[in-house]
Amino acid sequence: MAMDDALLDEADASGRAFLRLYRWSPPCLSFGRHEPAASRYDRAAIARLGLDVVRRPTGGRAVWHEHEVTYAVAAPVAVFGSLRDTYRAIHARLAAALRLLGVDANLAPDGPTVRPSDGPTACFAVPVGGEVLIGDRKVVGSAQVRRGTAFLQHGSILLDGSQDLVTEVSRTPGAVTRATSLSAELGRPVTFEEVAAAIMAAWCEPLVPSDGPTVRQSDGFADPDWTWRR
Amino acid sequence: MANTPKDLRYTAEHEYVKQTGDTAVVVVGITDYAQGELGDVVYVDLPKAGAVFTRMQVFGTIEAVKAVSELFCPVAGTVVEANAALEKDPAAVNRDPYGAGWMIKLRVADQGDLGKLLDAAAYTKQIGQ
Repeated sequence: MAMDDALLDEADASGRAFLRLYRWSPPCLSFGRHEPAASRYDRAAIARLGLDVVRRPTGGRAVWHEHEVTYAVAAPVAVFGSLRDTYRAIHARLAAALRLLGVDANLAPDGPTVRPSDGPTACFAVPVGGEVLIGDRKVVGSAQVRRGTAFLQHGSILLDGSQDLVTEVSRTPGAVTRATSLSAELGRPVTFEEVAAAIMAAWCEPLVPSDGPTVRQSDGFADPDWTWRR
Repeated sequence: MANTPKDLRYTAEHEYVKQTGDTAVVVVGITDYAQGELGDVVYVDLPKAGAVFTRMQVFGTIEAVKAVSELFCPVAGTVVEANAALEKDPAAVNRDPYGAGWMIKLRVADQGDLGKLLDAAAYTKQIGQ
C-alpha cells in the first residue's frame, strides 16, 4: 500500500504514469480508506486466524488478497479524464488482457449504482458500471483515490480461491459474494506470470521498467492503530 | 444538466462558496456537477471547528462508491462548524448539495480570496455545460 501511495505522489509531482503489478506475501485483508473496520469486522477473530491487515488509501470495501494479481495505475488525472472514464478505460484494458487468456471478460453496463448497505458487504459482492465481469460475476475489484493532479486506481484480479474469509470475519452476515476467478472460468490453474504478461501485452502505451519511488516509512500503513482507527 | 446557482461562487475543483448573514462567514460544499460525477457519496471526512486552512489547502476527503477525492478549501480561513449530519447521512451531498449537503462554515481570513473565485458563468463554462 505504501508503494502504491508513493506512486500516486510521484505521478502528482512528476506527471509520469505508472503501471505496477504485484502480489502479497503473506496474504492480507485490506480495508477501504473510510471503512468502519472496528465495528464491521471482528478484530479478535482476525488476530486468532493470524491474518495480516492493512488499510488502503482508496475507497471501497474489504478485500482478501491471496490468489490474485494486484494492479496499480498511478497517473495524471488528465490521462483518462473523469473518474468514471478512468475506471472504464483501465478496466477495458484489463478485460482485453483477460480475453487474451481465453475468458469472455466484458465491462458491466452503466446503470443505477447500488448504495452499499451498512452491512459487511465484501468488495466483490456487487458489480457496478464499468467493472470487469465474466458473465454476471466480478473477476476484478478496483478502487480509486484522487490527490492533487493525479489519481491512483488499484485492484485485485482473482486467480483462484474466494472472498469467503471477508464474510467469516464480519460481525454480521453479509451478502453472498458474486465473484469468480480465472482458474474457475478456465478450468485450470492460472498463474500470476501469465496474467501479468497478458496485461502488459494488452496495454496501449509502451511500458518502460522502473524501480519506482522510495517508500516513506512514516506513512502509517504498517501501524495497527492507524489501520483500526475507524 | 447540473444546477449551478448564479448567486454562488466556485472553484475549478468543484467546491462552491455561499455567503451567509455574517459577511465574514461562508458556507462551503461541492457542486451539483461534482456530486453527479462522483456518484453515491458514502463518507465525508471533515475537519473540526477551529481548524485553520490556507487557500486551496485540502480540508477533507469525500468517498463515493469506490473512489476517494480531496476537498479543497476555496478561501483561507478558520472552520466555524462542520456539518455533523453528513456523518450519518452522507447521501445529503447527492440529494441537496447546496442545502443539507453543505460541508463547512468558514470564517474568511482574507476577503480578497473571494474575488479569486469563479462566478456561475465561468464555472458552467469550465464544466462544459
